[in-house]
Amino acid sequence: MVGRFPPSALVLGGLALALILVFMLLPLGVVVAASLTAGQFLTFPPQGLSFRWYGDVLASEAYLSSAWTSLKVATLVTIAATVIGTAAAIGLSRRRLPGRALLAGVFLSPLVLPSIIFGIGLLIVFSIWGNGPSLLALALGHTVLTMPYVVRTVAAVLADADPAIEEAARTMGAGPVDRLRFVVLPQAKGGILAGAFFAFNVSFDEAVIALFLRTPGVETLPMRIYGQLEFSPTPAVAAVSTLMILMTILVVVAIERSLGLRKVAT
Amino acid sequence: MPGAKGGQGLVEPIVLVTPGIALLFGAFLFPVGQILVLSVVPSGEELGAWSNFARFFADDYYLRVAWRTFRLSLLITAATALIGFPLAYAMARAPRWLAFLLLLLTVLPLMTSVVVRTFGWMMVLGRGGPVTDLLMLFGLSARSAVLLQTETGIVVAMVQVLLPFMVLTTLGVIAGIHPHLEEAARTMGAGFYRTLRHVVLPLSLPGLVSGSLLVFAISMSSFITPNLIGGVRLPVMASAIYQQAIHTLDWGFAAAQSTLLLIAVLGLLVPYLALMRRARV
Repeated sequence: MVGRFPPSALVLGGLALALILVFMLLPLGVVVAASLTAGQFLTFPPQGLSFRWYGDVLASEAYLSSAWTSLKVATLVTIAATVIGTAAAIGLSRRRLPGRALLAGVFLSPLVLPSIIFGIGLLIVFSIWGNGPSLLALALGHTVLTMPYVVRTVAAVLADADPAIEEAARTMGAGPVDRLRFVVLPQAKGGILAGAFFAFNVSFDEAVIALFLRTPGVETLPMRIYGQLEFSPTPAVAAVSTLMILMTILVVVAIERSLGLRKVAT
Repeated sequence: MPGAKGGQGLVEPIVLVTPGIALLFGAFLFPVGQILVLSVVPSGEELGAWSNFARFFADDYYLRVAWRTFRLSLLITAATALIGFPLAYAMARAPRWLAFLLLLLTVLPLMTSVVVRTFGWMMVLGRGGPVTDLLMLFGLSARSAVLLQTETGIVVAMVQVLLPFMVLTTLGVIAGIHPHLEEAARTMGAGFYRTLRHVVLPLSLPGLVSGSLLVFAISMSSFITPNLIGGVRLPVMASAIYQQAIHTLDWGFAAAQSTLLLIAVLGLLVPYLALMRRARV
């Protein structure tokens, strides 16, 4: 067989890919590099190498309390979104449920609706009927936003699962609860884990709803960074951002291990 | 068996989806619906029901903001399609290890907080950043050129932020094109580029179109990146809405602008969802 790709395509393609990858990674690389500066100011390339700004961040009351807020919200959100989303995905995977396609669309709709519109809606609702924005309000908003990820990953796994196993369990006398517990949940495990990691990551990183529901008491880490960016960022902002990039890398690895990136991404 | 277990079988899935539906109705559809109501209901005693919309269309400032948002979104979409197609094709046809590497390098930026990515672009495009240095090196710019607070800067940063959506949507479609189709064209004498243009590109069109609709819809409503890169001098619709909702506290007007944005975005997303459904079957 003739070569599938002519040399010119390989060279041009390779060059184009290299350029695109530089373009994609440039902003992240610059942040990481700038966080390592020994100097007083935010510069690229950094001046000298040191971890002094990481020490600064870890000693900063403001950053630590924001990180704690983000962690609290993301943990609540991960639990709620994973439980509710998994149940919904299992329900949606049952052929006998009427209106499945429509329902599936409704469940995925928070993924496509602009979060600025959702954010302002939440702000209005909590201001009119509640006591204004709170940590719980933010967690509720993030649960809506992240549940579709869980529904999607769990549904993807269940679509490939063998229905004969549950049928066999049923024939052997297992009731609905036992079948869920011993057959369906183990079958969905990879999807549930990947969905949970997704939910945690999206909630921890989210910036738009957090901006609308921001109060002095509820300031997440992305909001702290955003606030700094509006004025004059110091290398400490780069250090926090680098820590957030590292966390994202961990989540990506976890998703790859639990379900596989390829399956999640397309 | 379907007959005997039918009734009981229906209870289980309904019980399972109920908490999710309750959450979506209470915490999603209700707040969004609230915006629609607030945009129509008169905000002051002397104002009519549709006054917020009338105000939008009568004010030159808001029309210019809407036009800028539309224009930039169009540019961003075109650029992501142009860059995204070759990247998605490479991902679909590259050897396994390379495909995985490309996927990883697409997903990693996508999953990084948009605030962090925008921060990176602020440094790249700002004074003393690498882009400025490069432009000066090639003599393209006499003095330290700063792309921060320019429309070019917004487009560059937004393309990086949204490219993964285009690539992943297109990849899903290209991965479904059987390589035999390309081989057939090649065996019949078509060159690589001709095959790409006349076989792969037309077949990837559903992916490119739905990717474009998605990217366009997201960029129309994006806030963080345009706001930080463009600054106060170059507001887009989302920043105008934020301004009204948080600083001016004119919720009615903010809701009216949100409704207009929602209508524009839904007009794009409905065809996107229809295309995605057809691609899946």
